[in-house]
Amino acid sequence: MLQRFLDPGVLASISSLDLLAKTVVDGFVAGLHRSPDFGFSQEFAEYRAYTPGDDLRHVDWNLFARTERAYLKRYRGDTNSQLTILLDASKSMDYTAGPARPSKMDYARFAAASLCYLAIHNQRDAAGLIVFDDEVRNYIRPSTRQGQLHRLLAGLEQAEPRARTDFTKPLLHFQNLLHRRGIVIMFSDFYEDPASIVRTIEPLRYHGNEVVLFHVLDPKEIRPELHGPAILVDLETDQRLEVIPEYTRTEYSKKIDDHIEQLRSRTRGAGMDYHLLVTDQPLDTTLREYLAIRQGGR
Amino acid sequence: MGFFNPWFLLGLAALALPVYIHLLRRHLTTPLPFSSLMFFERGIQSSTRHQRLRYLLLFSLRAALLLLLVLAFANPFIRRASVGVNDKLLLLVVDDSFSMKAGSRFADAKQAALQVLASRPRSQPAEVMALGGRLAILTQPIQDEAALRSAVGSIQPGDARANLGELAHGVRALVESVHSPVELHLFSDMQKTAVPANFNDMALPASVSVVLHPVGGAATPNWTVESVHFPAQLADPKDPKKSRVQAVIASYGTPAASRTVSLEVNNKTIATRNVNLPPDGRATVEFAPLDVPYGLNHCAIRIDSADGFPADDVSLFAVKRSDPERVLFVHQAGDTRSPLYFGAALGAATQASFILQAIDSEKSTDIDPSKYAFVVLSDAVALPSIFENALLRYVRSGGGVLIAAGTSAAHHARIPIYGGYSSDARSYTHNGYSTVGDTDLTHAVMNGGWADIKVYYVAGVDASHARVIARLTDGTPLLLEKQIDEGHVLLFASGLDDLTNDLPVRPAFVPFVDRAARYLSGSDDVSGSRLVDSVVSLRTQAGNPSSTGVEIIDPDGHRALSLTEAATAQSFQLTRAGFYRIRFANGKDALLGVNPDRRESNLEPIAPDLLALWGKGSAPPATSSASVQEKNSAHSIWWYVMLLVLVAAVAESIVASRYLGTQREEA
Repeated sequence: MLQRFLDPGVLASISSLDLLAKTVVDGFVAGLHRSPDFGFSQEFAEYRAYTPGDDLRHVDWNLFARTERAYLKRYRGDTNSQLTILLDASKSMDYTAGPARPSKMDYARFAAASLCYLAIHNQRDAAGLIVFDDEVRNYIRPSTRQGQLHRLLAGLEQAEPRARTDFTKPLLHFQNLLHRRGIVIMFSDFYEDPASIVRTIEPLRYHGNEVVLFHVLDPKEIRPELHGPAILVDLETDQRLEVIPEYTRTEYSKKIDDHIEQLRSRTRGAGMDYHLLVTDQPLDTTLREYLAIRQGGR
Repeated sequence: MGFFNPWFLLGLAALALPVYIHLLRRHLTTPLPFSSLMFFERGIQSSTRHQRLRYLLLFSLRAALLLLLVLAFANPFIRRASVGVNDKLLLLVVDDSFSMKAGSRFADAKQAALQVLASRPRSQPAEVMALGGRLAILTQPIQDEAALRSAVGSIQPGDARANLGELAHGVRALVESVHSPVELHLFSDMQKTAVPANFNDMALPASVSVVLHPVGGAATPNWTVESVHFPAQLADPKDPKKSRVQAVIASYGTPAASRTVSLEVNNKTIATRNVNLPPDGRATVEFAPLDVPYGLNHCAIRIDSADGFPADDVSLFAVKRSDPERVLFVHQAGDTRSPLYFGAALGAATQASFILQAIDSEKSTDIDPSKYAFVVLSDAVALPSIFENALLRYVRSGGGVLIAAGTSAAHHARIPIYGGYSSDARSYTHNGYSTVGDTDLTHAVMNGGWADIKVYYVAGVDASHARVIARLTDGTPLLLEKQIDEGHVLLFASGLDDLTNDLPVRPAFVPFVDRAARYLSGSDDVSGSRLVDSVVSLRTQAGNPSSTGVEIIDPDGHRALSLTEAATAQSFQLTRAGFYRIRFANGKDALLGVNPDRRESNLEPIAPDLLALWGKGSAPPATSSASVQEKNSAHSIWWYVMLLVLVAAVAESIVASRYLGTQREEA
């Protein structure tokens, strides 16, 4: 039942990103509590004898009262990591196949907002945001400060699709901006040559970052439905092309499938994670992936 | 094939619209936004061809729809052999008017009609009619050759006047009932005078084709007695003013000639005159004195014309010789003006002879009104009851009374005999006078010249159940007539003196008194002359059990009415020329000379261009039937075109809905 709150069609009707992220994450977390595989709360791990220099805040004073010995409580996952979200705000992200379905940009926004909420509110991780198209348009430094979540959500709200995608130029800035290793998650539709994409993004991985590419596509981009000859207009370049349905059913499908597969294999070959996000699927894939990475990096 | 409204073909320019939409705008489909075109390839050729093929059907339907719509407005027709000759009614109309008696016209017309009948296919229905004063239907549409020939043979020349307007009216009525094309064959001398005043009255329906068979050729020279002026009643043959007969002799298409005109009384020629007639002109002949014996006399003016139309050489009229009839003039004691004026006017009247007997109303007790031609009550509203009752009986049995209300009507609520109650009298003395604003000139007693009359005083009378003959400018009735059983009552709401109005001193007074005297005494009805087809009123009230039967002896000496008709008929139409002897329901005997309408004497035919305009030209009689078979007629097919428009519209809707619906989905 709670899965319903992860449905993009339902989420699209929620205007506030804050509320949307809360709804998604709470619903997701409520589902996780019943799962044996995942756990992220501050679970007790062991006691360790106090040694001078240890933080007194971690001393188990109850145990000290009973035993007059000072022990420190150790928890799992008590280390904080840094999450940086790279959001592609190029014009092609504005595509949607129908008014009832969120655009790719909206979907990416929802996912990013949910990740930010999960990271800051539940994991107490530092989270930041870089919005780019052919250059960096907005940068919010990763932080755990009060109000960071609101800053991130505001940044996401303001991210409107425009211009065209160009990974080369923004990536030079990314490398300067990402000082500390952490988790880098990129949302984009990756309409570029896969080899070029991997080649451009790969340097992020050299800094020790966990890099995850979320390939956001509309279902109609994967399987377009044309009932007759039509003129298609490229959202980024305004180029017009007259196409016929037969081509979309055969050649196009083959090409887009090859593109996805190449992207998947090349990114994984480069040590990065790749996930295809289709905008009619629930958002939990994103959150699941983030937690899985965090679990692995604990 | 052709078009009744070819100008609508200009609408074909609208075909440019689908051509523009489908052929010129074919590439302008709505563009669809897409994320990226990096995986697409251009496919213009196949796309365009596909699109063109797909929209070809829609284009064709739209073009066809417009084309058919324009065609429907242009009202196309096809020429095909007109209705089979067997479906066409052959209508033979033979003119039997008076002018057909001239020469061999009538015999020629019948012969031509019989020829047409003989040449028609045996299965073709035909109908025979005779055109006189009215269109007489002699047969129904039948195929029986013998019956049709018999019908044609039974037609005899009459004395009426032909009117092509009557013919057109009758044919229009026939077309409404037979619902089939009619081929009208008219056998006539095509007299110019047969054309009605309004040419539109001659218009024939489109389904009627006219074939004219003119007989008589060009205009025949003809002399005729155009009109006769005579005294219908004569009291004193030695009276030079009244005892005379004036005849107008007219000539048509003749050179100047001298002709002998004679006056016949009771079949004896009593006077003869020679008259010199100008070419194509008129001359007047006078016979005086007119010495006729007592009683009703058969009189005639005859001209020795020696032309081809002898039937119109005589004009009949009847003169009644009698002692002067007495007129009872009842007036108030001391009133000397009104009998003076009325008597003088009555004496001056030329058409009748009356002796006025004036008495005070108070002395009228023992008077028997039935001894008088008519009675005048001048300002005498208070009558002895015995006299009033006698007067009422007199009127009921057919007598006539003229009542001049005068000023005394204001003091008595009820007007005797008239029966109406007088209301407020109107005196115009304080503001001058009133004048006559409206007169009914169709009434026998009314003549012109009343507009100048000044009326100072008028009694308010009840105008219900009465015919108002004259009104004042303010609408007050001045002269009224009421019918009381067989009699007439004329009510003059003012007086016959010159105090209440100035009518007695006006020129209109004498003709008024003359006409009123003849109308009230009924002398107009008992003698004189009439035109053929005029109507004589036999009795005033239908089915009055008290009235006796009327009797009419026609020119041949036969009774014209059956016993039932004699007891009930209200009027009788004088259909033949000659003398009619009539005994009216009120017991009066009359002798009327009936003459044909003299317009029939003008034998000039209708102008050929006018005939062509009416009948679209006349075909030769011998080939007329054959030509009917070969004639093609235009049949409009717009109705079928409109059906195709409907089919095309439905198909276009279905196809367009399919295509355009797909487009919307794509958008």
